[in-house]
Amino acid sequence: MLTSLYVEGDTFLHRQRPGAKLALILVFGLALYFTELLAVQAAAVAVTGAIYFALPMPFREAVQRLKPVLFTIAVLAIFNGFVLSWQEALVSTLRLLAVVFLAAAVTATTRIADFMETITWALRPAERLGIVRAADVGLALGLVLRFLPDIFGHYEALKQAHAARGIAFRPLRAIGPLIILTLKDADAIADAIDARGIRGR
Amino acid sequence: MTTKDIVLVALFAAIIVALGFLPPITLAFIPVPITAQSMGVMLAGTIIGAKRGAASYVLVVLMVAIGLPVLAGGAGGLQKIMGPTGGYIIGWIFGAFVTGLIAERLVHDGQPEVRQYIGFFLASIAGGIIVVYAFGIAWLCFSTGTPFMKALIGNLAFVPGDLIKAVIATLAARAVLAGYPMLPSRA
Repeated sequence: MLTSLYVEGDTFLHRQRPGAKLALILVFGLALYFTELLAVQAAAVAVTGAIYFALPMPFREAVQRLKPVLFTIAVLAIFNGFVLSWQEALVSTLRLLAVVFLAAAVTATTRIADFMETITWALRPAERLGIVRAADVGLALGLVLRFLPDIFGHYEALKQAHAARGIAFRPLRAIGPLIILTLKDADAIADAIDARGIRGR
Repeated sequence: MTTKDIVLVALFAAIIVALGFLPPITLAFIPVPITAQSMGVMLAGTIIGAKRGAASYVLVVLMVAIGLPVLAGGAGGLQKIMGPTGGYIIGWIFGAFVTGLIAERLVHDGQPEVRQYIGFFLASIAGGIIVVYAFGIAWLCFSTGTPFMKALIGNLAFVPGDLIKAVIATLAARAVLAGYPMLPSRA
């Protein structure tokens, strides 16, 4: 149900460390905000677009992934075309496209496990200060993926309970019961985790 | 955070993801469809409180960032955070925190029902609308160059839908408070 956006492959980006790629997005994105030159933004879009669309995934899939973001960018471009000069609108649109292409390329070339390793590493200073335990972040992520199907199960059960009683089912009205059904298990889950000594100590 | 807090944070993050799969609801009198997921900020703050609610959203944003398609309509990835509407996504974390902070102050056990409803509603508006908009519009203006006032006016189209969400979140929060209270045991 939740398949990662990672795309199998062995491109140059695939081989880089996740931290380096995140730094690249940051530096590249910031650099683009320091220039209003149309030619620079256009070149940036050409390069990042080439990187993204050259990834080993079908062109349709590549477009499909960006559809919602591209739609927002298009709407804002039209809006900005009216409230700003067309040059300014074009520059900001191209800049956004370049940043989005690069970000999508990093997402598609980095495994979740590698991201997690980087996050654990980045959390080390916070861990030393006793703010957060890196292992807890991994534990919480695992719990989300484990219990997501259960929530859909609760939702179906609520739907059937309504049908059995001949009441019209309204999804928005089911949110309260859905939350109670889900969070009610928290004690049992927490006990199970502690009983197995997963959090150590 | 105790183990139970971590479990609550994770379960609520899972609920937020699940809400993204509910079909959006279109009402004739407002311009944008109501997505259940964007109600999550108000729900998280009012139901599990400031710290845990914000932590749930840190988890959701983390999942978006590492490339899990957890946003409504199966969207995700760094492109969502770096895109023009990324400010709203980051704003969710702070929105959930402020919602929770206000709900914890305003709503207590044994109050008349009406006061609880009002407390949840005010908390939802302050955190789920004002705070989220502040972050969203700030990043939108910075990333696209749209003048602030124009962006603010454009955002007004979403206010009627968001007010309806605040009402629904208020009803759900009060139902959970009555049925399985967690807000008083805030982390």
